[in-house]
Amino acid sequence: MIAGVAAGVTALALVVIPASGQAPAAGLRRTADGKPDLNGIWQSFTTANWDILAHEAQAGPHPELLGAWGAMPGGQGIVEGNEIPYKPEALANKKQNFDNRMVVKVTNDPHRFDYGDPEIQCYRAGVPRATYMPFPFQIFQTREQILMVYEYKGAVRTVYMDPHREAPADSWMGWSNGRWDGDTLVIDVTGFNGHTWFDRAGNFASDTLHVVERYTPIDATHLMYEATIEDPAVFTRPWKMSFPLYRRMEPNVQLVEFNCVPFVEEIMYAPLGLYKPPSK
Amino acid sequence: MRARVLVALTAVVMVVALWAPALVAQAPSGTRSFDPTVTDTEAAIKAAAEAARAAAAAGANWAPPRTPWGDPDISGYYLLATYTPLERPKELAAKPFYTEQEAIAAFRKAVESDAEVDPRTVHYDWKEYGMDAWQAGAKPNLRTSMIVDPPDGRIPPLTPEAQKRRAAAQAAARARNPQTGVQIFGNFYTRCVMGLAGGAPLVRGGQLGSDSAAGAAGVSAESQIVQAPGYVVIITQSNSDVRIIPLDGRPHLPQNVRTWLGDSRGHFEGNTLVVETSNFNDKSPGANFQGSTDALRMTERFTLANPKTMRYEFTISDPQTWTRPWSAEVPLPKIEPPIYEFACHEQNYGLMNVVKGAQITAAAAAKGQATSPAAGGGER
Repeated sequence: MIAGVAAGVTALALVVIPASGQAPAAGLRRTADGKPDLNGIWQSFTTANWDILAHEAQAGPHPELLGAWGAMPGGQGIVEGNEIPYKPEALANKKQNFDNRMVVKVTNDPHRFDYGDPEIQCYRAGVPRATYMPFPFQIFQTREQILMVYEYKGAVRTVYMDPHREAPADSWMGWSNGRWDGDTLVIDVTGFNGHTWFDRAGNFASDTLHVVERYTPIDATHLMYEATIEDPAVFTRPWKMSFPLYRRMEPNVQLVEFNCVPFVEEIMYAPLGLYKPPSK
Repeated sequence: MRARVLVALTAVVMVVALWAPALVAQAPSGTRSFDPTVTDTEAAIKAAAEAARAAAAAGANWAPPRTPWGDPDISGYYLLATYTPLERPKELAAKPFYTEQEAIAAFRKAVESDAEVDPRTVHYDWKEYGMDAWQAGAKPNLRTSMIVDPPDGRIPPLTPEAQKRRAAAQAAARARNPQTGVQIFGNFYTRCVMGLAGGAPLVRGGQLGSDSAAGAAGVSAESQIVQAPGYVVIITQSNSDVRIIPLDGRPHLPQNVRTWLGDSRGHFEGNTLVVETSNFNDKSPGANFQGSTDALRMTERFTLANPKTMRYEFTISDPQTWTRPWSAEVPLPKIEPPIYEFACHEQNYGLMNVVKGAQITAAAAAKGQATSPAAGGGER
């Protein structure tokens, strides 16, 4: 049994079928049906989760408590042209988001989403933000579906390859249908609930957000990620972000559970008098 | 008796012909194909039993297909709900199997009990949204309990230290701590820390009677098994919990690294996936699975017995809790895709009122006032 599996893996490593009109990426592994093998653990290394636009280093929130731990590193941004084409009224909302980014006001209805970066309360990051959170994610690839599991909150996303399915309802991670364009995995994501942000700086979209992702293998250990963002309710035109994804190479590397719900119960429920730490 | 059974089976054959397309049809996402001519609960239950028997017969000389990379293909969508209780009722100690008629009767009793709600309590009527285990696709089971070992079908005796822990927990619960809050309240499902299959075997078993925890166990009991080279992934719809199981024989995480869902490692033995899970965290002050500790170890076995049924077995051991390991088995029917995102914590609008209610109840109890009986959604 184990010998058979080892032989199968060796066969995968040796087969390199050039796609027509494209030079094959160096050392790229392929699956049995000839597609690039994206199985594995990937991570981006940018500061985009703080701010997807270019930014200088800054003291973070509560420097009197956190010092350099909480400081924001500088970064060159991931947005092509370093500009997000907000409609004027939407730009005002972005500024309001930024001013209120650390407000936590929990209610028992959707008004709880009116303020604050959802990340603080351990809410799902949505797409594309989950891709550039400072956490790894893992791809499980079959012909019919591609499953992505993000270490942040264990969020899952199923990419329907064959057959495609229609989004039955809105969700945090959206609904994904994918296809191959040569060696590029193209994912069309709709069905967002409008509650996710792009970063901690308050960049946002609405529930008419439409994201088209492209994952293009450069070689066996690098993907180029590009996402086209479209939302006629918020932006005057589509815009793009891009950055590399790196394969995590450590032996026996795995996602280590990041269940942040217990970490946020105090910030969420203590103001309501509902959080009483157990006395020990 | 035999003539009546034959007549019933004839009716069942016709009913199966009506049910089977309904079960298999590609319903629009979010809806369930429903045959309006099947209105008789008993006939429908018999049809489900017959379908299960037919599926079992089909599995007699059958092996699952293989994935393109050569592993047994156990991928698909499975229902984790059952009306079979975890523990065998004491009066059935020597009876590990029902006859088919008894199994149908027991199943029907559980279905009807699941559908009852006490109108005096604030309750959630699971069946109104098709969320009860029966409407989700739970099938009758000939076993009188999920537990198959010890042979009496009941959890083995507690160790002395576990008895002390249980007595302390019961005293604390009786004391109704007026300082109760989100953490002490301790219900991981209601807090959306874990789903109903978290930190424990995937199936915990139904109990006869309208126990809200058992009723909740039928809710969002769908799951998906995904396979990729060197991995099996189990997603449970309840809280969208995920377990990633590497198959390459790597060691567990270091002993000091503890998680809510444990750390799993798997391998195939023939067509059976064997999964060993350890590194569970200590969930105090909340309840660990069946009062166990972070020394809990779980071995699960997944065997696709026939194209429609996964045989799911598990062995639980914790020398700090039980005098010996114990094992259980339950069939999981295959169900239609897909499963959905369960953003429990994001939209946990109810938690505020549940915790406030617990505080009010605890404060009243501390003052010696009568309170309504505690009822929860998934209290363990």
